[in-house]
Amino acid sequence: MRAYTPKDDVQAKSYYTDRYYVAPQVPKQEVETDEVFAADLAALKAKFEVKESFIQVGQMVVYINANDIYGVLEFLRDELTYTQLSEMSAIDWLAKDNTFEIFYQMLSMTKRKRLRIKFFINKGEAVDSVESLFRCADWSEREMFDMFGIEANNHPFMKRILLPYDWQGNPLLKTYPLEGDEFAAWYEVDKIYGKEARDVIGPEIRDTARVDRYDSERFARLGFEVPKGTEITGNEEPNKQDYQEEGGVFLVKKFTKDASKIIDDPQR
Amino acid sequence: MAQVKNRLTPFFENITFDREDNELILNFGPQHPSAHGQLRLMLHLQQEQIVKAHPDVGYLHRGMEKMAENMIYNEFMPTTDRMDYIASSSNNYGFALAVEKLIDVEVPRRAKVIRMMLLEINRLMSHLFWLATTALDIGAMTVFLYAFREREYLMDIIEGYCGARLTHAAIRIGGVPLDIQDSFITQLRTFLDKLPANIKDYEDLLDTNRIWLMRMEEVGTISTEMALSWGCTGPMLRASGVQWDIRKEEPYELYDEIEFNVPYSDKGDNFARYRVYMEEMRETAKILYQTIDMYEETVKNGQTELMAHAPKYISAPKLDIMTQNYSLMQHFVLVTQGMRPPVGEVYIATESPKGELGFFINSQGGPYPYRLKLRAPSFWHTGILTDLLPGHYIPDVVSIIGTTNIVFGEVDR
Amino acid sequence: MAQHKVNYTQDGGLPVALTSIDKIVNWGRSNSIWALTYGLACCGIEMMASGASRFDFDRYGTIFRASPRQADVMIVAGTLTKKHAEFIKRLYDQMTEPRWVISMGSCANTGGMFNTYATVQGCDRVIPVDLYLPGCAPRPETLQYGVMLLQKKIRANKAGNAQKPKRLM
Ligand code: SF4
Repeated sequence: MRAYTPKDDVQAKSYYTDRYYVAPQVPKQEVETDEVFAADLAALKAKFEVKESFIQVGQMVVYINANDIYGVLEFLRDELTYTQLSEMSAIDWLAKDNTFEIFYQMLSMTKRKRLRIKFFINKGEAVDSVESLFRCADWSEREMFDMFGIEANNHPFMKRILLPYDWQGNPLLKTYPLEGDEFAAWYEVDKIYGKEARDVIGPEIRDTARVDRYDSERFARLGFEVPKGTEITGNEEPNKQDYQEEGGVFLVKKFTKDASKIIDDPQR
Repeated sequence: MAQVKNRLTPFFENITFDREDNELILNFGPQHPSAHGQLRLMLHLQQEQIVKAHPDVGYLHRGMEKMAENMIYNEFMPTTDRMDYIASSSNNYGFALAVEKLIDVEVPRRAKVIRMMLLEINRLMSHLFWLATTALDIGAMTVFLYAFREREYLMDIIEGYCGARLTHAAIRIGGVPLDIQDSFITQLRTFLDKLPANIKDYEDLLDTNRIWLMRMEEVGTISTEMALSWGCTGPMLRASGVQWDIRKEEPYELYDEIEFNVPYSDKGDNFARYRVYMEEMRETAKILYQTIDMYEETVKNGQTELMAHAPKYISAPKLDIMTQNYSLMQHFVLVTQGMRPPVGEVYIATESPKGELGFFINSQGGPYPYRLKLRAPSFWHTGILTDLLPGHYIPDVVSIIGTTNIVFGEVDR
Repeated sequence: MAQHKVNYTQDGGLPVALTSIDKIVNWGRSNSIWALTYGLACCGIEMMASGASRFDFDRYGTIFRASPRQADVMIVAGTLTKKHAEFIKRLYDQMTEPRWVISMGSCANTGGMFNTYATVQGCDRVIPVDLYLPGCAPRPETLQYGVMLLQKKIRANKAGNAQKPKRLM
């Protein structure tokens, strides 16, 4: 029987997992264990709906509603001194329940605290852009669009950033294979030489360890080089490797060891 | 030979040279010698003045985040080298620390000291490289040669430690693989003793140099609000008046036991950034002297452990693997299947030479990270060019790109 | 090579050296290989290091030029991504004949460790390559040795004939 390979997640999978293996959890603390976070959370709760909150590895994680995000970040920035948006991106949960999880990593320099705002959106939904609050979100949201295809409302320039504008597919989706789809595999050939050059250039060789000593088109044995395309028989003439022609190069003196000064202390 | 045919269409910039509104569009890059890598800038010009800048990145996008999702944690370590390849160990360290926080292990003291040494050597290497290239872009060839000379000594030290000049992979999850070599301390001391004189040399060449001052002072001024809003970190933020250094504010490793200052400036221009870098080199030298003392202390106290002890996640020392059956089995499983950190999320920021280097890891209990986001400082330091360049003149572009200290391995990942 | 020796510093005589066109042209070509600064990624840093103080590429007559029009050899130092691929072709076409290409580092050779959707699996898919340097990153010594091998290759060729097209396309 053929092994079943899921289509909605083509990333590498562990080939063996113990049947009774239960993954442990990174411990979560109550928000009340930290005064600063507790105060921040209380302030946040007074204005917005907070779905879940806890502290993990020293940072508070707060789940909110997707359409509150602009307000929450504005409130955090202006009232609670979280003046920097360190990072934002998405996590792909499409295989599980058809959602994306978006996170915003915030930093308060006066309180020396970091917190993470999170929410879920369904596939095909857009997030509200926070570009007018934090300019850095301009690029982050473009990157998210590039990698996941999640659009941001009110973004001034919603285009791909890392991949070319004419690229197809969103690489960080779990359905996208690491080595790319057919479009990716032929992208440069199609673009530069046109589709009909595919046959001439041939498919990509993804096995980087491949060495074929009988293929003189692509490989050369050091010391036994032959012109390209020669049939390899195994009785090739050795090709002496030296740094210079016999007798030295025209006008250049031969290097002699005795007449030169050797610096053996690398530290001068 | 006639040109080999291709299907490439000419750039639109080359066709519509002059537009009706007298605006010239200039394409800069992606292969420009002073763009510090593959940056492409589309500049809209009114004569010599830039009215709109549009940085285009991604020419070095190699899909690292995707790779991380398909690799076990230890496998990913060498890939982090290739992010900020000027200071590879600082990326190794950021990743190792994030995973250590996830699996909750404590690194032995000796390993911490060695890590700090490596990190600070990397910081010096990075700053020297920054100085060399920026000076070269502005035309100061001598400084380039001098700074590269010093950098080579550091490279030798690092090479003695891990065998590679550029891509170190010198740090493991849970510690460091090796103790430092015998000549490490003496070499480092010799270097550090010479460093102040060397820095003085550079400063003598640059500080009062008229050309340098004209191209640096009052050029590329970043206000504090702008720096915060664009997510600037590291020297970029410190030169704009925020004294924020993660080593000081959220100390990791043993930085809380070390005396050092955080240089900052409230000018925000190119020259301020240059000064911050120079002062940071001095501070780094100070830190390195202290780590040497700390290392000698660990030798005295007989703290020889280099890897944390956590059989579930980290292989035992080689001696145990070779002599004990259980350690061998565990090593085998860890190498073939990889460690399985607990389910959870972590975001850890460290102060890399360029700024805040963060690793966000979402683990679902499998041997592969479910999602790994690399927060690289240079990404936003490139983004800020959008707002920073307008109003400046063409020659300023080069000096501004120079002082932002961007590395494209890290921008594009 | 036949040489008629005149001690011109003392006798005030004209320096005369008899040689063949091939030799003299190739001597000139091989000893002034100007390279295009084409640092794409990490290997580009090692390329810079080879040009800087310790390794000093100028000894070989190798000077980095920023313009493809002035360059003889393109050292592809670093990862070639799909987004960048079209530019390498453009730049290669802009170089004047005769031109050579050194592919430096495993990324440029085969894609190296980046076996992903975004990396071109070897720059020889786009342009013809003369020399592949292994390593990640190759040391500056490797690049120096590579340049010396290229010099040998140039000297072994005829100077007059146009270069044979290196690629099927
Ligand atoms: S071969 Fe290695 S060092 Fe060179 S560009 Fe590729 S990853 Fe970087």
